[in-house]
Amino acid sequence: MKHVTTAYQKPIPLKDQDNQPYWDAADKHQLALQKCDDCQAYAHPPGPSCAKCGSENVSWENFGDDIQATVYSYVVSYRPFLPGFQNELPTIIALAQLDDVPEVKIMGNILHCEEKELKIGLPIQMTWVDITEDRALPQWVPVTN
Amino acid sequence: MMGNIKDRYAIVGVGESKRSRKSGTTPLHLALDAARAAIEDAGLKATDIDGFMNYNENDSCTSHQLATYLGVRPKYVKDIQGGGASTEMLIADAVSLIESGMLTTVLIYRSMNGSSGTRVGRGYDPDMLQGALSGGSFVIPYGSASPSQWFGMYATRHMHETGITKEHLGHVCLSFYEHAQRNPNAFLHGKPLTMEEYLATPDISYPFNIHDSCLELDEGNAIIVTSAEKAKDCTSRPVYIMGMSARQCHPHTHYWNDIDQVASDYVAQEVYENAGVTPKDIDVASIYDCFSWVVLRQLEAYGFAKRGEVGEFVAQGNLKIGGKLPTNTAGGMLSEGYTHGMNNALEIVRQLRHDYKGTDRQVEDCKIGICTGWAGPDIAGAMILRN
Repeated sequence: MKHVTTAYQKPIPLKDQDNQPYWDAADKHQLALQKCDDCQAYAHPPGPSCAKCGSENVSWENFGDDIQATVYSYVVSYRPFLPGFQNELPTIIALAQLDDVPEVKIMGNILHCEEKELKIGLPIQMTWVDITEDRALPQWVPVTN
Repeated sequence: MMGNIKDRYAIVGVGESKRSRKSGTTPLHLALDAARAAIEDAGLKATDIDGFMNYNENDSCTSHQLATYLGVRPKYVKDIQGGGASTEMLIADAVSLIESGMLTTVLIYRSMNGSSGTRVGRGYDPDMLQGALSGGSFVIPYGSASPSQWFGMYATRHMHETGITKEHLGHVCLSFYEHAQRNPNAFLHGKPLTMEEYLATPDISYPFNIHDSCLELDEGNAIIVTSAEKAKDCTSRPVYIMGMSARQCHPHTHYWNDIDQVASDYVAQEVYENAGVTPKDIDVASIYDCFSWVVLRQLEAYGFAKRGEVGEFVAQGNLKIGGKLPTNTAGGMLSEGYTHGMNNALEIVRQLRHDYKGTDRQVEDCKIGICTGWAGPDIAGAMILRN
């Protein structure tokens, strides 16, 4: 068993029956998205049925661990609004538009990013941060080179 | 289409309590002060009111308590959880109940110790937030827990697409702060703002600094709605409801998944249709202003300026008294007071009654006004009024 030396102070994503496959995949450092088998729409966040057509025929598709995106929008917070963020200011919170599924936009922090390089359209890729012994949080980093 | 209520209902009384950072009293006292002021304004007796409604965030008194201490046994009470756009929705509910014959006159209030008591959006349990917010588990773990961050995500994208700059946000603030300097009851009366000061103010959460964000105060506001027929018994000049759009929604409860549209886009279409007017007929406006950018996005939604031209519209001074669309003429929530929109509704009523006639606060000869509500990009409402 891994020993976690520093207790993680930030909120940990709560799993429920609708989002569990997303977070289970994240714990394995992978991205999974919900898809409607009837109208073929991808849903993020996932839900109990398809938000486009109401169909209950929803399933999950695994996209692996090479997830490329661009910054669709962002905010930069200079004050913490939740526990655990006080030591990591400013916090960049962004919406990432997936290259492969542009209709899907995923919120996350952009890590290792200078404020002056931050802009809409910036290429980013998904990374995973191990936050507890068995949980990992999807995050984003700028694409280098 | 609800067109058949056009001009058949009126706002006949408005009132407010003192506003401060620290009221030293309870929301019940603030509500009583506001309600008594509104009742006196209308020239009614408390017992003429049979319905009482309020919106709150578990930070207020109940409608039953308010009625009790006005000495009234109410026929109907309603307390809803809600913030922005609740004023418009409850007015529409009141109209519907009067139309059905169940009530005759309704008092709607919002009373809160929003500064010294429960502050909106502060101190919530993060796990509670994950459950309470739609899709919360995809948002809260990333530190996004404040409306400034939620709406800011919309703002950054919208600014990028339409050429709105930080300076344009500043023009919204400056316009409303200028109005507050004419209003002795505005919280920021005596505290004017220059563009230089605005631009030098550090952001709390980009793209917003403290001036872009609404006040947090202790205050109560009240508004009385009745039929046009019953309005004849009042001593105030009635302000008639031409049309409403009580509540429209974004297509998805998790509105972050599509930041290119807002509920106000749907409200605009319905409210103009029901009122039978167009944007060019509007003489004066109260536009929900929890953040400066929210005003800009609504100017686009409600058709006051074309997409891409909204920044220039405000830079030209059009929101100021004397401009094309005098807006939030008491200072708005950025500089007058903050009751989740009701103070802006009170102001549009006073403008349309020409209460300020003969002073530099009056929008001269104004006849038709719009009052918009914004709970967020997800939920909005609006009403168009006339004198």
